[in-house]
Amino acid sequence: MNKLNLQLADTLRKYGAKEFTACYNCGTCTAICNLTDSSSYFPRKIVRYSALGYEKALESSSEPWLCYYCGECNESCPKQAEPAELMMSIRRYLTARYDWTGLSHKLYTSTAWEIGSIVFLALIILLLFVFYHGPMTTELTPQGGVKLNTFAPWKTIELGDWLMAGMLSFFLLTNIFRMYLKIIRQDKSLHIPLVLYFTEAWRIVTNFFTQWHFSECTSIESGKKISFSAYWIIHWFLMTSYLVMFTMIVVFLGWFQTETIYAWWHPQRILGYYATIGLTVGIVYFFWARVKKNQEKTRHSHITDWTFLVLLFLTTITGILVHIFRINGWPMATYYIYVFHIMVLFPMLMIEVPFSKWSHLAYRPFAIYFSNVVNTAEKKKRS
Amino acid sequence: MENEGKKQRIGVYICHCGGNISDYVDVEQLSDIMKREEGVVISRDVMFTCADSNQKEMIRDIHEHHLDGFVVASCSPKLHLHTFRNVAQRAGLNPYNYVQVNVREQCSWAHSDHPDQASVKAAGLIRAGIRRVSYSEALEPLRITAVKSVVIIGAGVAGMRAAIELARMGNEVFLVEKEAEGGGQVAAWDTLYPTGTSGKDLTQLMLKQIREIPAIKLFTNATVEHVSGSLGNFMVEVKIRHEKEESLKLPAGAILVTTGFDSNLPAEGTFGYGLSDRVLTLPEFRKRIDEASGNLMVNGKKIRIVAFIYCVGMRQEKGGNKYCSRTCCTTTMHASLELHRKFGNVKAIHLYRDIRTYGKQEVLYNQASQQGDLFMMFKENDPPVVSLQDSRLKIEVTDHLTDRTRFELEPDLLVLVTGMVPRSDSDRIAQLLKIPVGNDKFFNEIHPKLRPVETVINGIMLGGSCQGPKNITESIQSSLSAAAKINAILCKESLELEPIVARINEEACTWCGICAGVCDYDAIFQMETDGKVIAGVNGAACTGCGICAPVCPADAIEVAQYTNHEIESMIDGFMAPVILEEKLAEPGSEEETGEGLMKEYPGIWKEILKQLDKEPLTIPQIAKQLQQESELITYHVMTMNKYRILEPAGTDEDLTFYLYTPKTRLS
Ligand SMILES: Cc1cc2nc3c(=O)[nH]c(=O)nc-3n(C[C@H](O)[C@H](O)[C@H](O)COP(=O)(O)OP(=O)(O)OC[C@H]3O[C@@H](n4cnc5c(N)ncnc54)[C@H](O)[C@@H]3O)c2cc1C
Ligand code: SF4
Ligand code: SF4
Ligand code: SF4
Ligand code: SF4
Repeated sequence: MNKLNLQLADTLRKYGAKEFTACYNCGTCTAICNLTDSSSYFPRKIVRYSALGYEKALESSSEPWLCYYCGECNESCPKQAEPAELMMSIRRYLTARYDWTGLSHKLYTSTAWEIGSIVFLALIILLLFVFYHGPMTTELTPQGGVKLNTFAPWKTIELGDWLMAGMLSFFLLTNIFRMYLKIIRQDKSLHIPLVLYFTEAWRIVTNFFTQWHFSECTSIESGKKISFSAYWIIHWFLMTSYLVMFTMIVVFLGWFQTETIYAWWHPQRILGYYATIGLTVGIVYFFWARVKKNQEKTRHSHITDWTFLVLLFLTTITGILVHIFRINGWPMATYYIYVFHIMVLFPMLMIEVPFSKWSHLAYRPFAIYFSNVVNTAEKKKRS
Repeated sequence: MENEGKKQRIGVYICHCGGNISDYVDVEQLSDIMKREEGVVISRDVMFTCADSNQKEMIRDIHEHHLDGFVVASCSPKLHLHTFRNVAQRAGLNPYNYVQVNVREQCSWAHSDHPDQASVKAAGLIRAGIRRVSYSEALEPLRITAVKSVVIIGAGVAGMRAAIELARMGNEVFLVEKEAEGGGQVAAWDTLYPTGTSGKDLTQLMLKQIREIPAIKLFTNATVEHVSGSLGNFMVEVKIRHEKEESLKLPAGAILVTTGFDSNLPAEGTFGYGLSDRVLTLPEFRKRIDEASGNLMVNGKKIRIVAFIYCVGMRQEKGGNKYCSRTCCTTTMHASLELHRKFGNVKAIHLYRDIRTYGKQEVLYNQASQQGDLFMMFKENDPPVVSLQDSRLKIEVTDHLTDRTRFELEPDLLVLVTGMVPRSDSDRIAQLLKIPVGNDKFFNEIHPKLRPVETVINGIMLGGSCQGPKNITESIQSSLSAAAKINAILCKESLELEPIVARINEEACTWCGICAGVCDYDAIFQMETDGKVIAGVNGAACTGCGICAPVCPADAIEVAQYTNHEIESMIDGFMAPVILEEKLAEPGSEEETGEGLMKEYPGIWKEILKQLDKEPLTIPQIAKQLQQESELITYHVMTMNKYRILEPAGTDEDLTFYLYTPKTRLS
């Protein structure tokens, strides 16, 4: 027999959910949502689980990950129950439920934990540099650039990167496994043929790289129906920039952090500029949207939305400065800003990727994958 | 003998009703046919008989042709009986020498699929009317003087409020309350919706006002034992039980019944009711939260979760109480808000069938859901299942809002939302007063919209929740409306009543008493004239229903306006053969729109069109510009709209009235 967790609504409020208990189940939000179809209908269902405290069903829902927060349901809800904001909060909640360390829950529900962890990780980096940095030479390379690899040899940094990447993957993958257990294994009665896991796997890749689901959204703003693609393009630009940067830093650091200054058209610099522009445009756009609250999805900002943007901004700006200082041959400035750069980069990745906002990069495609596996299995069972 | 006293100068007016009648009934031909009827001196067909201009014409006809009776064949007498009685009066003719024949509702509207037959039926009815009017008598209204006092039964909020207002309007009031104290059910509740005032304070305040007004006499521990008399002169016998029993006779011009409701009591075992301290009815629960302070406890434990099951014993597909008690949804929301306000973090779970917090009461529903109350919907055929295990409650419910998932709840307290049912002694009151009860067993008004506080007994009115479930506002509204009705009757020097009542033929009557036995209204009494015992009729009580007439073995009773002569002549008139010439339909689109049937627009239509030529106007604007009653303009504009002479052109700024503009037509 199904039981209710009557405290669930209060818990969800801590994750940023607002007026969802005002919902009277009219279903308008489900009718208006572009992404709901006969196999997965939301957000009313999710609002219902949340208000009721039907925790078991909520935990095993993949639907919140299908929603991209176009906000149409918010606009049409007669009770201003803000279903889209609830979906957003549920994504935070689910992130915390998948996370077995309990850290995610702490980071989302306590500002002290969030800020504290960032500061803590930044201090570790600072201390590592204080004790283990290379000589702070003022001598310049023949091209007049700073000898960054003497101060911070890329081999050492790369070792750190791999260590970090290992930890990130470990946490993220174990959490994805827990997500799998919750979404697919909760319902023991459903038999899922093994082959489905392979035939549906392409969805992870396509959704990870294209987010085509997202571009299907439309939104009604200022009375006009506009395509959602502007948002999608910027989001996509930001996402790919991040990926490029991440790959260059973690996988190809030796190629990326060089003392030679290449010509501007060299792939190393072109890719670097692409990522820098993408990150900058994205950050400015999302900052602007959150400050102006000019879109449904940016009307409410959780503290973690801000810390994420701030960290990303600081990482980007310090990265740009490192580049400028290095090329122009200002050694001391380069070293300090480099240390600061790593001090924000490390906590950003360590916190955001497995425990907080960046995790949606993985959870979204996996949720689409899992829900398709389940839906196809159910369809098979019925026919 | 036959022709003696028969009317010889009869006028007949047959109405087109702007097409409502003439589209289907051949009014022109009928008016020609009626000219040949015996006694008829003029017969006309008229576009709108009720129009002012035509009324004036009728008065002129009555004068010029010395008419002694007339027939109007138009709409239902419910609509225009008084209009034409007034015409008669203004022309110096007795209003009862006019007969209304309904050829709209009974012919054109009812038989629009057989227009020829509609005309035949109309001819019969009009002839019947002509024959009837030829036997009609001039009658004078009955006049009675009413005592300026009112007996109000039941001193709840409805009764008390009506008492105060009736006294302020100059009437003496006897307020009869069966309990030891006035105040009714409201006296039991603490904070009330929607205002938040305390029920105790509210009723105490009203009782204080009542004590201060000398014209109101409140009798407590008092019950009504017998009622006699009729409108204007009732006599109400009341028994008072204080230390000693006492009987009083209270004279009353009118009686107001405000006996309120009982709360439905579920049978033992219904959802565990009566088997555990943890199952209460809504009123019991209300009392609990009103009385508790600090924490709300059951069996020494703090209550954290309260479940409500709605519609208990109400809206039952099978069994009694089919109706919705209207007030209990809101009362439950309010109770849940009170629960939260007084005891903080108590979770409320509402298991409901429908939420009926109509009107502004929706605010309470909203507040309840915002404070975090849960709402789960069940169906009547799949109700929640309550089980008691070692004094703990377990409820299983299928929630229709969550994919019909079955849930198990473990509340600390279960509240059964019971509705309002009629008072257990309402049958007795109904019998004493001879007022009917409806299917729901509450006292019945004549018509819920048109005559909402009057009963079929003249002078006996209803107020408050004895008439059906009502909240305080609605109870008071209805009792005040009854008070206004009563005052409108009693404030006159003398009352004028319809003279269409039973009459006794003193020579023929032998006082067998059979008629008195069948009269539902106690209007017939035994009396003596010139040493002979015969039946007498109390005109104020008689409703003219006519039941007494056919039972009288001596044929000594007849009802005015329904004498044997009149009724027999009507039958003859209706049965007389009718020969109508067949009229060929004119071909073409004109026929379809109906415009072609109109030789010329009535004058007022032309006036209206002239106003609308300049700009689109609303009905009130047209009425103002033409200095006409807006009712009349409404009537014409609607008809013109129907014939597509006008068309709506949006609404005015306040979105209150439609604007009309002439329809552009091909000429
Ligand atoms: C739990 C509960 C809470 C409620 N809360 C609210 C609220 O917050 N706000 C609101 O608007 N409404 C509320 N209501 C509804 C409210 O109680 C009724 O609208 C109101 O009582 C109706 O008033 P009444 O005068 O018609 O009837 P009653 O209050 O029933 O009064 C009738 C009176 O007539 C007397 N009487 C009955 N029979 C006889 C007889 N034969 N002879 C002489 N006297 C007789 C009775 O003793 C009583 O004094 C609530 C109802 C319930 C059950
Ligand atoms: S539109 Fe609003 S009230 Fe309606 S179901 Fe969705 S959240 Fe609930
Ligand atoms: S925000 Fe958009 S995608 Fe998300 S549930 Fe609402 S309508 Fe659907
Ligand atoms: S008011 Fe509500 S609880 Fe009462 S009978 Fe009607 S629907 Fe049921
Ligand atoms: S007409 Fe009806 S009300 Fe009048 S005395 Fe006869 S039976 Fe009674």
